[in-house]
Amino acid sequence: MKKAVIIPLAIALVILLAFATTNAYRVPTADISFVECDERPTSVATVEFEVSGLKCRGTARTFARQIQDVPGVVSFVAYARTHSAIVEYDPALTDPDAIREAFEEPILHEGKTYEVFKMVSVAGE
Amino acid sequence: MKVLRTLVQVLFLGGVVALLLRGLAGHTPNTCEYYCPFGGLVALYPLARYKAYACALTELNVALLVSVLVLTVVSKKSFCGWVCPLGTVQEWLGRLGGKLFRRRFRLPKGVDRVLMNLRYVVLIAVPVLTFTVWKFDLGFRAYDPFYILFTWGGHETAAFSFYIVIGVLAAALLIPFFWCRYLCPMGAAMDPLSRAGALRIRRNRDTCTDCGECDKACPHAIPVSRVDEVTARNCTNCLDCIEECPVEGALELSWFGK
Repeated sequence: MKKAVIIPLAIALVILLAFATTNAYRVPTADISFVECDERPTSVATVEFEVSGLKCRGTARTFARQIQDVPGVVSFVAYARTHSAIVEYDPALTDPDAIREAFEEPILHEGKTYEVFKMVSVAGE
Repeated sequence: MKVLRTLVQVLFLGGVVALLLRGLAGHTPNTCEYYCPFGGLVALYPLARYKAYACALTELNVALLVSVLVLTVVSKKSFCGWVCPLGTVQEWLGRLGGKLFRRRFRLPKGVDRVLMNLRYVVLIAVPVLTFTVWKFDLGFRAYDPFYILFTWGGHETAAFSFYIVIGVLAAALLIPFFWCRYLCPMGAAMDPLSRAGALRIRRNRDTCTDCGECDKACPHAIPVSRVDEVTARNCTNCLDCIEECPVEGALELSWFGK
């Protein structure tokens, strides 16, 4: 029966490996560009937001709609696993605070307002 | 060994219940779906074709799918017998049913064999429906007892979803592992690898008395006493047969039956 201990050990090992390797092959939940290639500004800054409410492809699209009209926002990549959004922007036209204000703006739907996104943390580059 | 397995089961079941309670309290956006290996299987097609995930699926689902399949190669369906919280709930309900009704109900062999193939239908239907009818949305949520139960009616479930859960759990009281045996798509995905699983039960012909206690103990109705090594796809290495065997050494866990 000593061999039976191998089973929980194998379970622990494969689960640990799963968690340890997820960052190695990150694929975005959504990858949206708001400008054509030839319209990209020469200087682009990046900011990464951790956002509550950003948890699937649908909410990532809603997030894109929230920030698409902010002047200077170039593109955005969402990752549902980490609930994070990496936004590229033109620092001459906007800043992370303006982007945050835009995505935290309550959404009006069928007469009701919903606060869908809330920033949890920010890590700029 | 029963204690060890129960501890592992409690750990994982406690984990998803804690996740459910934290989710209901608004402390986490993640649900049990975040850790579902079957989600990894559904994610494979859009990942290969569009380099994107369907709905809320992520690389963690894919990683856990690979982990479960590797575990199956090593130790048959240990995931079902040791880890899966829905399997645990069904196992405990089956035991309760056994005590209440003083017997385990089994469907006639022919019907049982036909119904077991339903899992393959579900295994194919769910990804196909996800990419056609449900348009990359996870429409299976409304029918998946694991999701419905452990999100307590999460996103996209409906009133009928609870009837599905009640039906599955009531059926598990009567027929052991009803969902796992007849409908679970994850179990179906593991089947081919489970047959080849390295860690398996071996019966020692010289010491076995053919008393049949192992057959009675097996919750998956595997005729352990009639084989030299258990290669059955449904074996979860729960080790109940070894626990019940009255002769020490007649049944043991082995690598490839050696």
